Amino acid sequence: MFDLADLQGNILRGYRKPHVRYLILEIADRIAARRWLAASISGRDDGVPQITTGNWGAAKPDTCFNIGLTYEGLRALGTPSSSLEMFPNEFIEGMTARALKLGDVGPSAPETWPSPFDDPGRIHIIATIYAGDVRQLDQVQQRALDRNALTLLGTREGHNFRDDFVHFGYRDNIMQPRFEGVHDPQRHADGQPRAPLGTVLLGHPTNLEGLMWRVPQPAALGHNGTFNAFRVLKQDVVAFEEYLDQAASDLLAHPHVDELLSPGAEAKIGQVMSVEGRHGALREIVAANLCGRWRDGTPLALSADAPDPDVNRANFDYDRESRCPYGAHIRRCNPRGGQIVQRVANNSRRLVRRGMPYGPAYDPAKRDRDKPEPERGLLGNFIGASLGAQFEAMSCDWLNLSLQDPRITGSNDPIVGANDPKTSWFDLPLKSGCTIRLRGLPRLVWTRGGAYTFLPSLSAIRFLGSQMM
Amino acid sequence: MMPSDEGLLDRFVDWLPKNLVFKRVASWTLVPFWARWTPVKPLPGGPHPSFQHGDNVQCMMNLIMPLKIKSPIGRAEAALAIAQNKDAIYAGLNNVGTVHFARFVIVGDNICMFSVYDGDFTNYIRDFIATIGSVFNAVVELVEGGDDVIPCEEKVEAFIQWVHEHDLYQVPDTATDFLRDQEALNGDGAASGNDDLTLLPRKMVLQLRANANVSLGSGYRAYPGFSVAQVRKQLGIGW
Amino acid sequence: MVDASVAKRLVEAIIDNLPEPVPGRRPVHTIGMGVKGKFVASDVARTYCIAEHFNGQSVSVSVRFSNGLGGLEQHDGWSDVRGMATRFHLPDGTASDLIATTLGEFFVRNVDDFFEFAKVAKLEPYRRRPWWLKLLDILQLKMPPRDPYPNETRNVDAGALCYANRHRFAQLGVFQVSLIGAPVSYARASYHAVHTFVVTAPDGVRRPVRFSWQPVAGVRNTELTAVPCDKYLRKELEDRLRRWPARFMLMMTIGEAGDALDDPTRPWPGTRIRVVMGTLTLTEVPEDQEAAGERISFNPCRLAPGIEVSKDPILEARLGVYEVSREMRGGCPFRWRPDDAK
Repeated sequence: MFDLADLQGNILRGYRKPHVRYLILEIADRIAARRWLAASISGRDDGVPQITTGNWGAAKPDTCFNIGLTYEGLRALGTPSSSLEMFPNEFIEGMTARALKLGDVGPSAPETWPSPFDDPGRIHIIATIYAGDVRQLDQVQQRALDRNALTLLGTREGHNFRDDFVHFGYRDNIMQPRFEGVHDPQRHADGQPRAPLGTVLLGHPTNLEGLMWRVPQPAALGHNGTFNAFRVLKQDVVAFEEYLDQAASDLLAHPHVDELLSPGAEAKIGQVMSVEGRHGALREIVAANLCGRWRDGTPLALSADAPDPDVNRANFDYDRESRCPYGAHIRRCNPRGGQIVQRVANNSRRLVRRGMPYGPAYDPAKRDRDKPEPERGLLGNFIGASLGAQFEAMSCDWLNLSLQDPRITGSNDPIVGANDPKTSWFDLPLKSGCTIRLRGLPRLVWTRGGAYTFLPSLSAIRFLGSQMM
Repeated sequence: MMPSDEGLLDRFVDWLPKNLVFKRVASWTLVPFWARWTPVKPLPGGPHPSFQHGDNVQCMMNLIMPLKIKSPIGRAEAALAIAQNKDAIYAGLNNVGTVHFARFVIVGDNICMFSVYDGDFTNYIRDFIATIGSVFNAVVELVEGGDDVIPCEEKVEAFIQWVHEHDLYQVPDTATDFLRDQEALNGDGAASGNDDLTLLPRKMVLQLRANANVSLGSGYRAYPGFSVAQVRKQLGIGW
Repeated sequence: MVDASVAKRLVEAIIDNLPEPVPGRRPVHTIGMGVKGKFVASDVARTYCIAEHFNGQSVSVSVRFSNGLGGLEQHDGWSDVRGMATRFHLPDGTASDLIATTLGEFFVRNVDDFFEFAKVAKLEPYRRRPWWLKLLDILQLKMPPRDPYPNETRNVDAGALCYANRHRFAQLGVFQVSLIGAPVSYARASYHAVHTFVVTAPDGVRRPVRFSWQPVAGVRNTELTAVPCDKYLRKELEDRLRRWPARFMLMMTIGEAGDALDDPTRPWPGTRIRVVMGTLTLTEVPEDQEAAGERISFNPCRLAPGIEVSKDPILEARLGVYEVSREMRGGCPFRWRPDDAK
């Protein structure tokens, strides 16, 4: 049994607010910072904003405020070293030291990250503000910044697009794990087993039989805590759209193109996706195959020939008949019941994802080739009880090394992988069982910052804020 | 048949480093002296971190685990623990899916595990704990220092760290990469410096003093660059 | 395209560092011998490269083995790099060259590095290290330099070591040269082409690759401690080929994104995919060694369509350097393909 009110909000259920701001903070004074933490859960509504819990009662609050702590932050607060030692290695080393496992190489390498992520030792607390409008973000930020306790190193801001669309034009936020023992009215049957709470909270049974992740002691600190991989992911929308153009043109000349897009089938695709002609339809087919979902959210596994607004977007699985490519992005991230090499791990690497786009939406009509494009992308949070077993394992073995399926080993994830256009490839499945190999996929996502944070429970915040430590 | 300009002392100095007695005396005297004067830190074990596909398949793991009971009885216990759990071990290996070869070997008073695997070793060990944790517990119980990390299902992170610490340092295939490893450990990543290549023997000797067991080179592979599943699929035996 | 004047300066830098001038001969790899044979590609070679000599038909080849040192004094038994230059004769009269040496990595990355190396690694008097200094080396657990061979009065070892100590990229090449020794036979050494080439497959896929010759008889060097013999390699190979052919396997390693493609000082790890491209069988040492060994002029950039050079600056420089050297010694020009005249 556990109490939703002991958790920070936004872990088990999403806020669905349109605006978010991340405050990247350094602890200026240990005692003042502890007082700040204590004040954030005091229940008083003046001064430091109150941490939003997972139990917000009947009405969601106007603004939601949460915090995550890095290892350096826990240390700066004066957490005893006996407790610090119990945190997992990857969290202690920090995201910048794990670059090879995460694919942060070349243009994504931590050496290239802009401030404040170029000085990871100073990043102590990442506070998030969710609100209905920017004015509210400013207000909460104002209240949050106690100059005695904290120094503001930088901010990042994101905002939702209409209908959950994100950059690259896909509809996101369709899937999140459903948890045992948690009622989530947003989530419906999705063909997957409910995830044990230990997938996302320390101190509870996990998906791996008999395994429990180490809970940093004292229990007040570690129990019900979780880890987050916060990532600033820049998306090269121009390169993506240009790649779709190039791939569609190449496919039009391919001898097997009629198998991929039967003559006349472009009408149905064009109707749903508002595109024209075979070239436009082929672009959408490529986009759908790279991701595993049509850009409107229809899963390829359910409807491979055309998007279908009537289909249940969440409820599907990968079996021998499904025509979702083995290397498609969503299939790599979550193989569901599909056949994978690491048979134990079908459901053990699931993540809660909370992300929001940043930067202006791309409008090809307004593109000015003489000026560099503004930066745009995703502010992503990938939450799980074990960074090593979930986020890192997925990023390393599944997204970049592609070890889960021998038919994709040797390639990288087409959307987020570290692709080099000289060597990258991706296979499009055809109905007959043959494939068409796409080549020259560019690198579409660059990492521009991030940190591993610990999302403490309310009890943990109380513990960290107490002077007894 | 020596050139005529070679004197007695020249011949003596050429003969000296080949002489067994000298080598033994040098081990007792010169080596500890230089270990104090120019200390070296032991290099960490496991394959060198790399992002490239070929470097992340057919990785070598060389675990050397000293037994608690250093006698034929201790060795017999270890042999029995493996033999009794053979089915569990095979089932575990089949289901982890990324191990090419694995074998347990008793060398002296050590129980060793040598395996060839794909991907990140933490993932394979973790999946292994989930399927055959009880076997690990049975074997590691017999190993020095093992009590701290079992039952492994409850001490997953500590167990993985322990495995990493018992995984041998892989001396690189080239002597110069070995020098770069030592420099990296000291935080020296410079492209050039004021090195002294003639110091290579000393650096090697001192590292082998800090790290008594090492793997020489990353190993020979008859068909490098392919994962377990790729080989099985290519041979048509299912993966 | 390398500046012709740069090529000339490179050749001059090499010649300046020779013990004696050798007009009409190659400045380095002066001593050598020509051998004839056949190459048959493996059954998979054509799936990686469309070059004609990989299509599976037997092609005749001309090979020149050589000792690396320049000058007319022959010292087969001295520790020295050996060369194996191979010309694949294609049916239409053109050819593809593959130049390989027993040194797997070069010691400089580009032309500027080479000029600096030539300045530092000069031919210097080489004497036995005094016994008290050797003793000091041993007590410090250091490696004393090797004794000079009988009649060896000068070499570049000290300068090369000095350069390597100051440039980490050079260390592997210099280190390997110091240990290279002398093979018991030209047919019992591994030869590496060092530079990256780009091969095109029938489906248009281009791959960066490196080539090596692996001797079927295995690698064997002479004893380090034995007194070196000055002339034995030519007779050894003639005797060998009279009894049975000598064979080499052509191994092609495929590079990955992130490997050092244009840097000849960096080897590729043993974890790269290795393809057997074919077998070379050497059958006879021709009588006319003037034509087969001296006048024949190889060029590492003479490549059949299907093989291209990478952007390796040393490979690029060698194109010009080999041409300049050929002209200087009156070597036989070979008909280039029209599209090779870059």
